[in-house]
Amino acid sequence: MKNLIIYIITAVIFVVTLGVGYLIADQYLGRAPEQPINFSHRIHAGDNEIPCMYCHSYAERARVSGVPNVQRCMGCHKIIKTDSPEIQKVAGYWDRKEPIPWIKVHNLPDHVVFPHKRHVKAGRKCQECHGPVETMDVVKRIAPLKMGWCLKCHGKYDVKNGRECWTCHT
Amino acid sequence: MKRRDFLKFIGAGGVGTGLGILFGQAIKPPGSKLIPYLIPPEDVIPGIANWYASACTQCAAGCGILVKIMDGRAKKVEGNPLHPISGGKLCVRGQAGLQSLYNPDRIPGPLRRKGARGTNSFEPISWEEALSEVTAKLKELSDKGENDKLYLLTSALSGHLGRLTDDFMAGYGSTNTINHDLFDYRNLRYANSAAMRLDAIPHYDIENTQYLLSFGADFASTWLSPVNLSRGYGEMRQGEYRERGKFVQVEPRISLTAANADEWVPAKPGSEAILALAIAKLIVDSGHYTGADASAWKALLAPFGLTYAAEATDLDKKKIRHIATEFMNTRPSLAIGGESISAYSNGVSGLVAVNILNHVAGNLGIKGGVRANDRDLFAGTRAKKVGPGIDALIRAAEAKEVGMLLHYNNNPAFTTPGTVKAAEALKNVPYIVSFSSFMDETTVLSDIILPANMSYEDWGDHFADPAPGYQVATLMQPVISPVYKTRSLGDTIMELGRGVGGAVAEKMPGGTFADHIKESWSKLYSQNKGMSASALTFERFWRDTLATGGWWPEGAYKEQKLSVTPKRVARHVSKEPAKFDGAATQYPLHLISYAQAGHLDGRGANIPWLQELPDPVTSVVWGSWVEINPKTAARLGVKMGDMVEIESPHGKIQSPVFLYQGIRPDTVAMPIGQGHTLYGRYAEKRGANPIEILPSTVDKRTGVYALNSTRVRILKTGRPGDLVKMDVSTDELGRNIVQTIAPGATGKVPPSSHH
Ligand code: SF4
Repeated sequence: MKNLIIYIITAVIFVVTLGVGYLIADQYLGRAPEQPINFSHRIHAGDNEIPCMYCHSYAERARVSGVPNVQRCMGCHKIIKTDSPEIQKVAGYWDRKEPIPWIKVHNLPDHVVFPHKRHVKAGRKCQECHGPVETMDVVKRIAPLKMGWCLKCHGKYDVKNGRECWTCHT
Repeated sequence: MKRRDFLKFIGAGGVGTGLGILFGQAIKPPGSKLIPYLIPPEDVIPGIANWYASACTQCAAGCGILVKIMDGRAKKVEGNPLHPISGGKLCVRGQAGLQSLYNPDRIPGPLRRKGARGTNSFEPISWEEALSEVTAKLKELSDKGENDKLYLLTSALSGHLGRLTDDFMAGYGSTNTINHDLFDYRNLRYANSAAMRLDAIPHYDIENTQYLLSFGADFASTWLSPVNLSRGYGEMRQGEYRERGKFVQVEPRISLTAANADEWVPAKPGSEAILALAIAKLIVDSGHYTGADASAWKALLAPFGLTYAAEATDLDKKKIRHIATEFMNTRPSLAIGGESISAYSNGVSGLVAVNILNHVAGNLGIKGGVRANDRDLFAGTRAKKVGPGIDALIRAAEAKEVGMLLHYNNNPAFTTPGTVKAAEALKNVPYIVSFSSFMDETTVLSDIILPANMSYEDWGDHFADPAPGYQVATLMQPVISPVYKTRSLGDTIMELGRGVGGAVAEKMPGGTFADHIKESWSKLYSQNKGMSASALTFERFWRDTLATGGWWPEGAYKEQKLSVTPKRVARHVSKEPAKFDGAATQYPLHLISYAQAGHLDGRGANIPWLQELPDPVTSVVWGSWVEINPKTAARLGVKMGDMVEIESPHGKIQSPVFLYQGIRPDTVAMPIGQGHTLYGRYAEKRGANPIEILPSTVDKRTGVYALNSTRVRILKTGRPGDLVKMDVSTDELGRNIVQTIAPGATGKVPPSSHH
């Protein structure tokens, strides 16, 4: 009898912690997928202090911030560090006239509309959602990108209509 | 608790959390790809739309459009508000054009016939192969000295594409360019040319008229330039600071246009010309017409007395007199002639009669009447005299006189009467090249298909005909890159011409078709000072023109006198009503086949939006119907939705019944557009094509097949039809929703409203 109770308690603990583990993974552990080019934001945005919007040039004009086109990479790397094997990979894509197939780190479901433009115009720093990208060699998601997380911020900055459904779900 | 148990709990918790985290990480969606541009196109910001100006080519009117482009995809078409034809509006076909662009049944690239002709068995080939094969065939024909056996069959091509194909044919040494569309207004052009010496269609100034008398012109949905004329109509009826104009429609059935009229005059089919001339006679006899040739007109119109006209038209004498009085006394007034006066064996005569009516009432060359349009903007790009018609091609093909046929953008196997056997005739042509975008009943007969870009994917221009009283040149630019492996038709023609060599190669302009258009517009720019007034350089002018959508001297209408003389029209005036196939005793009902708002001549049937769109009059979707007056239906013993057989002396088709109060009891009507045997998944095996049972009667002067020239009978099948309509009932079921008062009872005030 007593043994049975112990087993049941053990099972309950197992199931509950399984859920807790899942939540930890889902909410707090970011993603840092391997990219086709070993691109380092630390070198570009950190050491060389290139402004974010030099490469992500649509951020203040459109919904998406934009991945830099290959021409933009080659604009500098025709001359800079041409002997690095990673840059030679970029040059390879350019020569083959192929775009670089980057892997998405930040992804939102289709039923939500996130306009970069509005957030940039409202004075938010890229780092508030993307984390200290300028220190990352491999970009990693630091925020859960869940509705509760969005709303916390909308509340903090007292966003007009910031809690209306159709503000994001349009 | 024992220590062992405690450890068990800790263990379970640890393992649980660990597995949970692993599971959570594992089920995270793998990052989708984020593909950047290699080199970003100019002006493109992802997620932000650009609007580019172009022209609609879903019918010949040439409405100026703006296409919304986002991330390289065309997402919406709207009217170009700056454009004088469309004025920012579009018709349903214009709106639905995108589904022809992205249609899954488009011919994706060059094809060569593999199986027997007409069996729709083709194999894909490369553009190089296709071009070299056609070039070789053209050379072969030329080597045999049979250059004049080359035929070109297209819809009317406007602008530089039209001129290029003309040059190609002239250079090759053939005069056999056949323009054909089911509704291409050849009778109207011919009648206007004969009566008023006008080659370009004039501007029918509905906007500024005070009294519009339309003989079956369904301008609210399909006739001539529906968007432009509908806009004018809106102004005429509801424009600010003006008197509301009156509108009378003569037509055997109530079309969408007739439904808007103040009066519906259901003259007997085939008698409309007599009605027009009887009204003209009343006007001349009344002394309203004061021209020096009044007596000549009196003599010419003498046979069209009121008694004769009343009997022929099945209308009240009083009614005819009433229309005549209003027509001449309301200034300005305007008569227009559409399908129901021109779709007969003597169609030209009907349209000439309308011109006579406008002349004697004093409506020619005035604001609110018929206004001449300017001549060519570019030499050779505007409508010429009416050339040989589709009947000429079919006869030549039957006689095996066609050596090779180039075909583009029309479908005579569907749009010519079944008795003509167009498809059979075309099978005699040894080699057919098609540039069409869809596998339809005509394209399937080809030996090789070199599909052209659609207008959204190509350069081009369009010169409005009819124009609104001044020239309108609309530019088309590729607003997206080609969806499939298709090619600019202009480039294909130029390449073929160069390949053949000799005179035709010399006629071909250098560079690409796009270069040719720009080059030609630059000549126009340097000739036309007025055009360059606001722009400094040609490059600047070109950019501005592409942005605004074209060039038009807004409001620059030049007065031009127009007249009709008895001498010119005498041979077109005849007392005889139109002829019909089928004895009235055996085939008691007239058949009217009309252009349906979405499908026009059948071209809209492969567009699901247009299939889904309820017909504006009957609300039927995805199929055919035959309109029958309830009285006639009661006599026949058929009810709404019953499947019936419609039989003419030339064949029979089946269609469900639509009971319609707005049609003469001696007439039935069917929309054109359905009944395709081949035209993609949305069009095929749906409904019936009334053209199939029509006779091969033509108006000899133009070779236009007369759509309304047969009688039919209706036979019960005893089966229910597949009628799907969006409104449930046209009956108010005794609820007194629509309160009416009988004519003549207006003086008597009902007792309840006494105070
Ligand atoms: S009338 Fe309709 S189909 Fe014709 S050009 Fe205008 S929008 Fe296009």
